[in-house]
Amino acid sequence: MDLAALAECVTSSSCLVTQTTSGLIVGMLLFLVAAGLTLIFGVLKIVNFAHGTFYMLGAYLAYSVFRVTDSYTLAVVAAGAGMGIFGIVFERALIARVYGANVLMQLLICYAVVLICDDLVKIVWGADFKAMGMPPEFQVPPLFVAGGVVPPFYILLITVALAIGGGLGLTLALTKIGKIVRAAAHNPNMVSALGINTTLLYSLVFATGAMLAGLAGGLAAPVRSLTPGMGFSILIESFIVTVIGGMGSIAGALIAAVVLGLIRSFGTIGFPMFTEGMMFLVMIIILVVKPSGLFGREIV
Amino acid sequence: MINGQKNSVGRRALLGGAAGVLAMPWVARAQANPIKIGIQSIFSGPIALLGASSKGAIQIEIDRINATGGLLGRQIQPIYRDTKGQPQEAARIARELINTDGCEILLDAEASSASFAVQEVVRDLGVLCVHSNSETSSLTADPKLRVATCFRSARQGVHDAIVGGAHSAKIAEAKKLTRWATTSPDYSFGRDTTAQFLEFLKHFKPDIEVASQAWPKMGQPDFTEVITKILQAKPQALYTTLFAGDLSAFVNQGNVYALFGQMQVFCPAMGDLPVLTAIKNLPTGIQCASRYLPTFPDTPPNQAFYENYRKVNNNDYPTNWSWESATGMRFIEAAVKKANSTDGKKAAEAMSGLTIDSIFSTTGKVTMRAEDHTMVDYAIGWGTSVPAAPYVTGVQPGDWGQIRELEAEWKKNNAYV
Amino acid sequence: MLRPSLARDIVLGILVIAILALIPALVPSKAFQDFVIRVAAMALFATSLNLLVGYTGLTSFGHGMFYGLGTYSFALLMQKTSLSLPMAFLLTLLITAATATVVGAICIRLRLIYFAFVTLAMQMLLHSIIISWVGLTGGDQGLQGGIPRRVVAGFDLGNQHTLYLASGVVLVIGLIAMRHVVASTFGTSLRMIRDNEARAAFLGIVVWRVKLAVFVLSAMFAAVGGVVTSLFVSGAYPELINWPISGDAIFAIVLGGIGSFLGPLVGTIMLTVLNDVVTRTTEYYGLALGIIILVFALGLRRGVVDFVTERLGFRPSGGVS
Repeated sequence: MDLAALAECVTSSSCLVTQTTSGLIVGMLLFLVAAGLTLIFGVLKIVNFAHGTFYMLGAYLAYSVFRVTDSYTLAVVAAGAGMGIFGIVFERALIARVYGANVLMQLLICYAVVLICDDLVKIVWGADFKAMGMPPEFQVPPLFVAGGVVPPFYILLITVALAIGGGLGLTLALTKIGKIVRAAAHNPNMVSALGINTTLLYSLVFATGAMLAGLAGGLAAPVRSLTPGMGFSILIESFIVTVIGGMGSIAGALIAAVVLGLIRSFGTIGFPMFTEGMMFLVMIIILVVKPSGLFGREIV
Repeated sequence: MINGQKNSVGRRALLGGAAGVLAMPWVARAQANPIKIGIQSIFSGPIALLGASSKGAIQIEIDRINATGGLLGRQIQPIYRDTKGQPQEAARIARELINTDGCEILLDAEASSASFAVQEVVRDLGVLCVHSNSETSSLTADPKLRVATCFRSARQGVHDAIVGGAHSAKIAEAKKLTRWATTSPDYSFGRDTTAQFLEFLKHFKPDIEVASQAWPKMGQPDFTEVITKILQAKPQALYTTLFAGDLSAFVNQGNVYALFGQMQVFCPAMGDLPVLTAIKNLPTGIQCASRYLPTFPDTPPNQAFYENYRKVNNNDYPTNWSWESATGMRFIEAAVKKANSTDGKKAAEAMSGLTIDSIFSTTGKVTMRAEDHTMVDYAIGWGTSVPAAPYVTGVQPGDWGQIRELEAEWKKNNAYV
Repeated sequence: MLRPSLARDIVLGILVIAILALIPALVPSKAFQDFVIRVAAMALFATSLNLLVGYTGLTSFGHGMFYGLGTYSFALLMQKTSLSLPMAFLLTLLITAATATVVGAICIRLRLIYFAFVTLAMQMLLHSIIISWVGLTGGDQGLQGGIPRRVVAGFDLGNQHTLYLASGVVLVIGLIAMRHVVASTFGTSLRMIRDNEARAAFLGIVVWRVKLAVFVLSAMFAAVGGVVTSLFVSGAYPELINWPISGDAIFAIVLGGIGSFLGPLVGTIMLTVLNDVVTRTTEYYGLALGIIILVFALGLRRGVVDFVTERLGFRPSGGVS
């Protein structure tokens, strides 16, 4: 515990700026992954334990596309699109068979897919870790804002993540398809009775969730190490985010992801030994005080 | 119809399971002629690449021995097993290799925690065992943990700390670096190594101030908050024991913040080829310890080992684990020859204090020290990073006289002697 | 449902132990003995989890915390105190019961997936504490130096053959005990809570008290499994309390069948055999195991024992159908 250092940081503008952006960076990528997880749960009532795998595959896909095309944009798009398609296949071939089944059966199937994909990645890309490297256009010196350091690449990441999250939220709130999705989350039978093809709807929602994870993987690829099994820690953190924010709530996921990012960035200064334990503690407290999370289930 | 299909799938799966049961190696086979050596390592999971690099080097040694008539006139038959790095699996597999597969010797190419579990098994079973990749000092230094037939053919944490401290102090003196930060993975090896390093750094240069210490989790995807914490402290020097994928991610993310231009970085785990080659835009001027470098020692045999390894192993790079495991195999070969037996006790007596020729030493020889069963005199040094091959230049070897002296003192302080 | 007779179970249990005692004379395989020890530990753990999942409808993702707590408490008591093995064992059960009472009191207020997540978070918290408390637990290196004084009434549990028999005995006793828990009126209350909590409450069952009781009870059985493991590996390691260990138990009960009392045992045997055979033959352990799990999960859609009993026309003896 080093609360003096924490107090010192909070009162210094440079530290405040730097650690806050750092918390936002950690939080926004987490948000993209968690948003997909929470969307899938909200509508399909499926706890997608394979979500970290989509993130991993997205990152690897981006890595390969970047190597071939040298275009970061293409790499990210490919990661998102690829995982969207993979999500549809995964949902149709496997998840569709266990709708309404015991959550443990869903867990079992997702776990099997995680195991299989980790090994497939090992076969295709090798067991060693890969680094995509920073695209040349972002190899620029960081900006200095109020004495704090802010790298341009991370400004892009935060903007893109916010744009995607905002777009998703607006789509759900304002468009017809968004209304159908929200209705399906509350009462699938009713939606089905209205003659809407819920099978298609479920595939679409699942694909969107998978796409978000893939995008996150692709976006993060320049600054992260790619290894088989890299999805696991992301999965655990996304679960914490989803639970704290409220399972099914996009806005909740956004807030919780940022909170978690800030716990990490300020925790590493104030209580470096216990940042991980702190996340679980917050999760337990939220669950006990308000099991439905900060934002309940009413949004989506 | 659907039912029938389901049924047949189920039956086939059940039959598959039954066949698996029958294939279980529960029936001990009769002792055959070859010398079976059990080799357990990590062949799956995030550091599977290290296990593979051990196996690649060991197999080259075994092929060489077998091609020249074997050991004691018997061919060597390696049995490789994956422990996934889990202590409970490592313990089980060690027992199984000895009890069921009839292995007479263990070459334990494991990371730290699993090697401790294997050591407990060997304590009970008494075969010859060489730990070839566990660097945690206490494995052999602590007399309470030591086992009569267990040896270590790996670098040892405290050796690295002494050489690192001496080398860093020299640089710090020259460049007037007094304000330091550290960041290391939050687990015992990371903590111990960092503490030992700082102890020896202060021994050589007492006016060091540690301004900030960050402890990221192993395998943490994002080091941003750690990097910004370091930047906040405005240190002149940074010491980090991050390794493998974590180190690569740290460097890539540090580059985003131009971290490496703002301080002198010291990195004991950098000098290994998979790390050096994976990092894009490797900054110039990082101080790196040599884990394995084909240019250190800069001799034709080491270069030949490097080229042969890559030729045999699908163009993969040899690692620190490769030379350590190859050396472990060489120690086994020499000790069994000397004892003229694979018996645990006899071979262990032969290995105690044994000196063998080694291309991974600047003096051409390494010794298995009798008093604590750990290897000394191997090549250990520090150099400076450059963005392209050979990646690390100007490697300065450590002084083994100094290592021995300070290690003895360290042991005394820890009540190990 | 017929209440199983204690006498019949005991006779059956003695028979199983007699067979286990005979096997080494016929097939002197030490790997088989190791196999039985590992299965005993894991099967106790998995069956105890099924008391929660299959019989009470409480899906815990963090049951491994008690298995791990068992290994750590026992190993620490043996290393740091001079207590005899049986005393350390009893004290381990007490420590586990006390911890489970506190954890359970917090967790059982939540339902369904929220219960699953809060138990998981509890386990991760405990794991974090064990990893950070290096002075006591050895941190990520685990508890080193072995377990001393493994002799009980002249039997040396450090000896593999003795440990093998002892594990068999502990497994049989543990299974019989749990079987009688589920067959008792207490067990009936569990199933009523599982099937309809409101109705159970209406019929006068104090739901929270029954849930807490079964939570604590199952934690204690899990800790017994942990003690066996601790003796087997001669120590305690953080991997034994990490999340995947809960996952292993969950897979064992789902593969074997949550609707049958012996489902978790069968699932444990299947998973252990798979692990041993697959890691022996390929480094692509995950790929092979994943495909096999998919075949079972999608092919049978229920555990193997549940599938077989339904095929043979029996109603499942207790669990979810």
